[in-house]
Amino acid sequence: MGTATGIIRALNSGIKHLAIKRFTLRYPEEKLKFVGDGYQFDPSTGVGIAGLKGRHMLFHDHCTGCQLCSIACEGVAEAIAMVKVPDNQKQNKKSIMPQIDYGKCVFCGLCVDACPFYALYMTNDYELSSFTKEGLIYTPAQLAVKPYVSQDSEIQITDRGATHG
Amino acid sequence: MTAELPPGLALQKVDERIMTLNVGPQHPGSGHMRIVVQIDGDYIVACDPDPGYVHRGEEKMAEYRNYITNIPHLERPVIHDSCNVLYPYVLGAEEILGIEVPERAKYVRVIASELNRCIYTQYWLAIYGIFLGHSTMFMWPAGDRELLIDLMEKMSGARVTHAHFVPGGVRNDLPANFEDACLRQVNYFEKRIKEYAAVFYDNPILISRTKDTGVLSKQDAIRLGTTGSVLRASGVDYDLRIKEPYDVYEELDVHTNVMKEGDSYARSKVPWLDMMESCNIIRQALQKMPKSGSVRTKLKPNPKTKGPETVYKRVESGRGSLGCYIVSDGKTEPYRVKMSVGSFRNLIALPYLLKGEKLGNMPSVYWSLNYWPVEADR
Repeated sequence: MGTATGIIRALNSGIKHLAIKRFTLRYPEEKLKFVGDGYQFDPSTGVGIAGLKGRHMLFHDHCTGCQLCSIACEGVAEAIAMVKVPDNQKQNKKSIMPQIDYGKCVFCGLCVDACPFYALYMTNDYELSSFTKEGLIYTPAQLAVKPYVSQDSEIQITDRGATHG
Repeated sequence: MTAELPPGLALQKVDERIMTLNVGPQHPGSGHMRIVVQIDGDYIVACDPDPGYVHRGEEKMAEYRNYITNIPHLERPVIHDSCNVLYPYVLGAEEILGIEVPERAKYVRVIASELNRCIYTQYWLAIYGIFLGHSTMFMWPAGDRELLIDLMEKMSGARVTHAHFVPGGVRNDLPANFEDACLRQVNYFEKRIKEYAAVFYDNPILISRTKDTGVLSKQDAIRLGTTGSVLRASGVDYDLRIKEPYDVYEELDVHTNVMKEGDSYARSKVPWLDMMESCNIIRQALQKMPKSGSVRTKLKPNPKTKGPETVYKRVESGRGSLGCYIVSDGKTEPYRVKMSVGSFRNLIALPYLLKGEKLGNMPSVYWSLNYWPVEADR
């Protein structure tokens, strides 16, 4: 194959893509849809449930303050600290609950694997940026709130190429 | 007999003429490493690669953490290939802890490993394209990589650092309808990477820049101890998935892609052919995978070892053979973890390849070695 034909073939291959739909995602307006409600773990079988490893969600009525999540995080990110729960909130036996610093968290989900009481799950919320370092520290009360997520964009494959529809 | 030079004109001595040039260690151009090249005019006389700028002490860190807690940090050296970089460690830890892996988990691991190999190779191909001044080849692989990242995200819940493999299987089962989505996106991905031929691999400009540059002969490739795509591009048919099959690779039909030339062009083409082979393996694994069953042997959070033991396991990563040597003294933490990585082995060939080349050929030779600085430094 000659040099000229090779260059024409290469250009032609690129020009064909003018007719193909755009693949990229317009992020703040469109958001990717994820499987399930986030990564969860079933201690009875020892196997997790597939989902995005995003912000945690803490169930105050299940948490016993056993610190296993905090121990699991030691040596990984040291992001979980056990803090005293204020008196006006739901208490457990030790009245301590995890507080997570998202400036340190690596979203590995080993804390979820460690919880034997179904108290700590992960959610689809991944937009955690903050102007201050203190804003990244989520107290037990903040972790109990179920995040609002509206994500609907998925990869669609058609004859005219793949798009985020 | 030398002719008399006119006054004011004199030939420079050879050692005065030679200039030393630092390429790197700033990130653009070389990755996080420095290549000290000595040039005579436009020709490279000597070259001294200088890695070590991103040493993180991963191996030492592994001695202070237990077998489970080691997982998130041991995949950091190559985050794009995080399943493969963790694979030998997990295989070794399984032997030390004495756990069996369920059959379905082995297939899930093979799928994750092959997806990761493609994700890594696409990223590398994007860099290779942009350093040869080919912007299309930067955009296309970086975009098509998204198809596979989406699959890994469905499978493991994270886009890049998955922390998906654990001793005893994988962290979670596949989500519903994963097989269909995987097959659809992998088939489309294969169709897309075949289009790279016209725009990149058959492009006369690329061929003129990479053909016959940095030729590594078969004997030298073996003598220098290169692995992976560099070795296969020099005509040595060596792939650990065939030579030392781990998990379920012996039940799958794996072919290797070997090219005889040993130049930059062959080294850049072999990973591309390997990606197509990976698509084949994923399709086979999806077909042969048991449709239901456990994916993880239950394990305590701080597992106890059987006793003092030494294991060495290796797998074929995106950059060649990747070995992990674990010494256990019977405690909950490993006594020593040593990684033997493909990147570092391939870098050894660089001084031999660059000698006598033009300086302009340096990017095409250096990036064709499939070198990842962070993995080499650990």
